[in-house]
Amino acid sequence: MLRLLIEKELRDIIGSTKFTTTFAVCAILILLAFYVGARNYQVSMNEFEAARSENLRQMEELTNWNEVDHRIFLEPQPLAALVSGISNDIGRTVDVETRGELSSENSRFNEDPIFAVFRFLDLQFIFTVVLSLFAILFGFDAINGEKERGTLRLSFANSVPRDKYILGKLVGSFLALVIPLLLAVLVGFLLLVVMGIPMDGGLWARLGLIVLSGLMYFGVFLTLSVFISTLTEHSSTSFLLLLVAWIFAVLIIPRTAVLLSGRAVDVPSMDQINYEKATLENELWDQDRKQMSEFWRSNPPSENESREESMARFRRFMSELADAREEEQQKLAEQLNENRRNREFVQQKLALNIARVSPTASFALASSDLAGTSLELKQRFVESANLYQQTYATFVNEKTGGMGGGWWSRMNSDEEADPIDPYELPVYEYVEPETSEFINGALPDMALLMVFNLLFFAGAFVRFLKYDVR
Amino acid sequence: MESKNQPMLQAIDLSKRYEDGHLALDNLNLTVETGQVYAMLGGNGAGKTTAINLFLNFIEPTTGQAVVDGIVTHEEPLKAKERIAYVSENVMLYPNFTALQNVDFFVKLGGKTKYTKEDYRKVLLRVGLQEEAHDRRLKGFSKGMRQKCGIAIAILKDAKAILLDEPTSGLDPKAAFEFIHLLNTLREEGKAILMSTHDIFRAKEVADIVGIMNLGKLVMQRTKDELVGEDLEKLYVEFMAGYMDEVA
Amino acid sequence: MFSVLFEKELKSIFLSPKFVATFGVCSLLILLSVFVGIQEYKNEVDQYNTAVQLSEQQMMGESSWWGIENVVFRKPSVMQVFVSGVNNDIGRSAEISTWVEPKLENSNYSSDTLFAVFRFVDLTFIFQVVLSLFAILFTYDAINGERERGTLKLALSNAVPRAQYVLAKFAGSWVGLTVPLIIPLLVAMLMVMIFGIPMDGGDWARVLTLIGSSILYFTFFIAFGLLVSAFTKRSAVSFLVLLVAWVCLVLIVPRAATMTAGQIAPVTSVAELESQKDRFRTDRWRAYGMQRSKLWEERRTAMEGMTEQERNDYMAANRQAWDEEEATARDATMDEMNEHSRKLDEELRNEKMAQEKLAFTLSRFSPASAYKLTAMNLADTGTSLKNEYEDAMKDYRTTFTQFVETKREEDRRANRGRRGPGSNANDDEPLDLAELPRFDAPKQTYKEAVEPTIIDLGILSVFSVLAFAGAFLSFIRYDVR
Repeated sequence: MLRLLIEKELRDIIGSTKFTTTFAVCAILILLAFYVGARNYQVSMNEFEAARSENLRQMEELTNWNEVDHRIFLEPQPLAALVSGISNDIGRTVDVETRGELSSENSRFNEDPIFAVFRFLDLQFIFTVVLSLFAILFGFDAINGEKERGTLRLSFANSVPRDKYILGKLVGSFLALVIPLLLAVLVGFLLLVVMGIPMDGGLWARLGLIVLSGLMYFGVFLTLSVFISTLTEHSSTSFLLLLVAWIFAVLIIPRTAVLLSGRAVDVPSMDQINYEKATLENELWDQDRKQMSEFWRSNPPSENESREESMARFRRFMSELADAREEEQQKLAEQLNENRRNREFVQQKLALNIARVSPTASFALASSDLAGTSLELKQRFVESANLYQQTYATFVNEKTGGMGGGWWSRMNSDEEADPIDPYELPVYEYVEPETSEFINGALPDMALLMVFNLLFFAGAFVRFLKYDVR
Repeated sequence: MESKNQPMLQAIDLSKRYEDGHLALDNLNLTVETGQVYAMLGGNGAGKTTAINLFLNFIEPTTGQAVVDGIVTHEEPLKAKERIAYVSENVMLYPNFTALQNVDFFVKLGGKTKYTKEDYRKVLLRVGLQEEAHDRRLKGFSKGMRQKCGIAIAILKDAKAILLDEPTSGLDPKAAFEFIHLLNTLREEGKAILMSTHDIFRAKEVADIVGIMNLGKLVMQRTKDELVGEDLEKLYVEFMAGYMDEVA
Repeated sequence: MFSVLFEKELKSIFLSPKFVATFGVCSLLILLSVFVGIQEYKNEVDQYNTAVQLSEQQMMGESSWWGIENVVFRKPSVMQVFVSGVNNDIGRSAEISTWVEPKLENSNYSSDTLFAVFRFVDLTFIFQVVLSLFAILFTYDAINGERERGTLKLALSNAVPRAQYVLAKFAGSWVGLTVPLIIPLLVAMLMVMIFGIPMDGGDWARVLTLIGSSILYFTFFIAFGLLVSAFTKRSAVSFLVLLVAWVCLVLIVPRAATMTAGQIAPVTSVAELESQKDRFRTDRWRAYGMQRSKLWEERRTAMEGMTEQERNDYMAANRQAWDEEEATARDATMDEMNEHSRKLDEELRNEKMAQEKLAFTLSRFSPASAYKLTAMNLADTGTSLKNEYEDAMKDYRTTFTQFVETKREEDRRANRGRRGPGSNANDDEPLDLAELPRFDAPKQTYKEAVEPTIIDLGILSVFSVLAFAGAFLSFIRYDVR
């Protein structure tokens, strides 16, 4: 019996022109998303390679490691092209100095605002906006449409148990819609392979989970549609209700959540922090300047000291001052940054938790977590850059004999020297965390999607048992 | 044709062949004069509705003419339609409007703007729609109640000719009986009435002329007098069968 | 006759429960978006004021004109309340210094990534996405729905000209759907006034033009819904067609267009540009070095055979001339390099403009992008905003550098003999910033803002007229059975 019902559902959906058109549109979009993602990845990979080698090439002329203007770049990630998350919003470049705070610059959207105007067409977008609409379109009249056509009465004139009927309805329509979509996605996977996108096992696993959470998200809208159609008399009413629900879930709730938490939690602005840092820097510099001008008075060069030696002494003194200054600045910077980070974290948590009222937010978070383009990306990039800074500082210190940076040492390196070999530089590599870490991050949201599914499923089920089939 | 019994509705060699080649109406000739009721009998797809659509110029004739009060409908459709009231089969009307609002709109479209609400109510009552239903939205109306609104609209338009497409479908026996009574009144008022129906008994009861149609052709036409003593049902079945034989 | 039809159209919109629900949602969204816009604007103004103040304080904290660093900020514009455009994507501040070209950095989204996750909803978005959907929802069965209900036959069994019928249909739906929108929009305007957003006449003119173009865009979708419903027999079909068309026009075409343009007209990468500049620079410096050694070679030849004393005298006599000669050569080299890098930058900008133009031209196949471009141009929050600001900042940098140079010169004169940083005469007194030239945010006049929108408004009008004409012609021959 159940099989018959599922079969009817499959035939009913797949045979309709509605299905043919919408499926064609969706399949084209999914393939487009994969293709465009792969192309984007290739292009940004080329740019990334070019920028990196150009940075090294520019150093070839230099003779002093202190003059080096070293830049590191965030390597494009294949999954970021499919689920862009915030990867286009954050800075991708860091100017590495041996000391001081690092900041990332040159976000993609800042560089090419044209792409910010309409944003990208990525897989996540297709799922959140287009496929959810697609789900509604096929579920909105699942029950009340059958009633309007009179087929519901006809079916129940036979000895059909209601629970089997609704189960067949839900399972049948889910299968009928999801299997064709999966086919399109599989072709998309193939496209990635053909276009030579370097995917390893971990990436495939994450991509697989992204698709899985996408299907779960699709399921949420499908079960919700069936649920609503058991709650209403007319299919036109249920469609209107669903459309309003869709607008709220997809467009309004996530954004409003962010705005609400922005109101509720105050995060100190970057300008404020920069100001405080700069003020401290100025104060310290003023103090040190006094000490510097008094250096020769309080430490006059002794008779048996050569000019070279006294200069070296002064340089050491300067270096110590700089280190002390540096340390104090860093302390404040760390304190300010941590404070900001903490506030930001509270704000984010609040925002995301409110946003999770909408399954769209859950899906967006789960998929960007899996793709490694969630809010943590910025943090991870800056942290890995900081880590590299230490390696870099050690390297430069070794090369320059611990002279530190700054103009002072530059002023004293007039004599001709051999050019440096920039390829000795330690190579920066942005290493993504373990696959399991991404998956763990996404699990709560995937669980939430599952809960939404079950909730609406149960709702539709219970409602239908008492549905007035007349 | 300025005779006293001027033909109000007239089909002259009227044929309609659709783009797909289907011949829906084949050389129809019929005449309805003022004060006459003409009933077209026939099964589904016999061409009854096509004939009515041609009178309303909803479709253009392939050959021939449909003439209303001397006006060829496909030449001057608007002028012709001023003279026609129409009741369609199973009209849904506007579900969010009340009965009165629906009637008001369509009657005004018919060019009658002088009526008051009371006039509407009177006519609605006359066609058998209870007073309490007048201000209700059409959404909850049964097929019969909607049909009554449609008939009221046609009466209020007060046109010389009335086209009725399956007017009794959906009406309960009592309402159908009252409708027949209403038709008699309208005939006495001098309307020319062309109706299509499946209902042989009502046709015999009310019609001055009965035509039987099959596969786009008028296969039999008898006046009321000619039908006296004849079993119309038997005739109908015979003609249909005979015609089927002929075709075969 | 027309008025009867028109009146019925209005009534059927106002009486449907669908209308009450959607009107409620739309009003709510419009008000919410403007409210949020106002709050965000106020926030940004606060942030901007603090930032400017802090930057000034920081400059005052400097003790000499040598170490001075100036940061200028992009000023929030009132129009971003309605159209955020790329406002949050492009940088907010730029460092003005003698050494490097100013470049906008620190976009809102890059510093507050949370807001980038779901982005903002502005009035334009509500119109572009939500209201267009609702326009479809009300017109998808305008013609074929009447056919399905049988009312079309009944109506046309009267002496009603079809042209009048479809005109009344359009006019009625247009008035019925647009006029109610005026109410929340007026309330929104009131809100803007109550919250004390400083709008001048030009800004009001822009807002009105924006509302006008929003309604034009909305009109297109009404006409489009009518068109499709007059082309199809069943309302289920027309709804599906419209929904697919809506997804394509509003969501897909604009994005696909920019991406296609990115593929067709690629832009030189920053790395490539830097490499070119750097190579040129290296070449020039090498040439300059060679020129210098050649000069010294000549001078040495000239001095050959002189005694030590003669040589010193000769050198002392010529030192200034030689210095000048070298300085001229150096300046010429520098100029050449600057010119070259300016040319490259300009080329890049041209390339970007070409790409942009292609992208926008392609995207204009969709009225949604024509509308969005209109809105961004009107609000001046489009892609050109970045260039506008960076140009203004470059000009400012010149003024600023000149000013600082004169100040440094004065200092130098005051402490003749001492050079280098930290050698100010009155070391610990803050700098007098009263004379410091200020950065004026570029502001477009109303005329400048409207001019580039004319093409898009034209496109929107053409789309609407075409859609309506199509609906009209199709209805004249519509099979009402």
